[in-house]
Amino acid sequence: MFKFLFSVNPLLKIGISLAIVTIALSLTTLEAVSVLVVVLLILFLTSIRIQVKNAIVIAIALTVFVMFGTWTLNNWQLALFYALRLLAILLPAPVFAFTTSPTDLVRALQAMKLPSFIVLSLMLTWRFLPVIQQESQRILEANQLRGVDLSRRPHLWFSGLFVPLVFRIVSYADEVTIGLETRGYDPNAPRTISKPLTWQAQDTVFTIVSVLVFGIVAHLEL
Amino acid sequence: MSRWQLRDYVFAAFMTIGIAIASVITVPLTLSIPLPGIRTIVWAPFAGIFLTLGMARLQRRGSVALMIGTLALLLSRISWIITAFLVAALLVTEAVMWFRGGYRSRMDRLIGNAVFFASATVTGAVIGAYTAGQAFGAWVAQAWILVPMTLLSGVAGAIGWWMGEKIVTQLQRAGKLNV
Repeated sequence: MFKFLFSVNPLLKIGISLAIVTIALSLTTLEAVSVLVVVLLILFLTSIRIQVKNAIVIAIALTVFVMFGTWTLNNWQLALFYALRLLAILLPAPVFAFTTSPTDLVRALQAMKLPSFIVLSLMLTWRFLPVIQQESQRILEANQLRGVDLSRRPHLWFSGLFVPLVFRIVSYADEVTIGLETRGYDPNAPRTISKPLTWQAQDTVFTIVSVLVFGIVAHLEL
Repeated sequence: MSRWQLRDYVFAAFMTIGIAIASVITVPLTLSIPLPGIRTIVWAPFAGIFLTLGMARLQRRGSVALMIGTLALLLSRISWIITAFLVAALLVTEAVMWFRGGYRSRMDRLIGNAVFFASATVTGAVIGAYTAGQAFGAWVAQAWILVPMTLLSGVAGAIGWWMGEKIVTQLQRAGKLNV
């Protein structure tokens, strides 16, 4: 695993990934989009561990997309171009996401001076999503113990899964609110950051390499 | 109407979690169906429960923006396209609901749900078509597909509202929701 991307400034990664999406949307030549996709695939495959099964599913989906495009457009090159462009638009988000921890992302959002309630909402969602998922799993297992297999009976999802889940979620929300209020948490109070974001050597390297790739893509496009 | 308080933000965040879990449960069921809006139609009845609960508890303008905006930021880790269409749909919904003054009555919440899920189908199809290019664009731009799917999404949102209101009543009876 190539750990370089993990140490790059998350704000820079957000900026570059948005730039890639914007550039990908404006590309018109197969060569330019191919270069962009190759670079993204290298980053993706060297930074993220992907299961073979998932890779096969993605490859099949892309092949189907190209075949569908060829059938509707009567032009396999154009279909391939659109498939590659779609890949160039879809890849930056997971490359950025899987190489940035939620803590780093929250630090980045705080550094961006986003309203504090947005950062709070995001932190709570990240923190409690796995907990609530576990709760839903418990509810499913409790149903199985009673002989109700909800995966085969979607008409029972409302009464068997969502009603108890809502009650648990509302209880969690109350408990977290009380916990935050008793600790004197004020979403509008100024916050301090233990590890402030700083510009480091790897950020400069990443910026230079990104600008170079964008230059090559622009050259091929013109 | 009082200012937004900490408990409002926390409640909205937990409703966002519910909406996200509804998508985790329902979206895999429809991955292989290449129809615009099919994911929204399956997602809406269950996500609509949490959206309705959030609307019923928060009631103010901006309630949908708070819940769906957080979801859009959360899902930006999967794809910027999802973020884009969710933000577009929440802007449409909040624009419509601005004139109704929020989500105080059941009718407001019904309209809010139907508008959000219907506009999510339209914005999803438009942004998806623009992203995927001519092949997919030509497919989804056909009115005979997009119009019924949009209407069905609105109906699915209304079903979510109906189930959500049932739970709101139950929560009120249990003393767990001050609406």
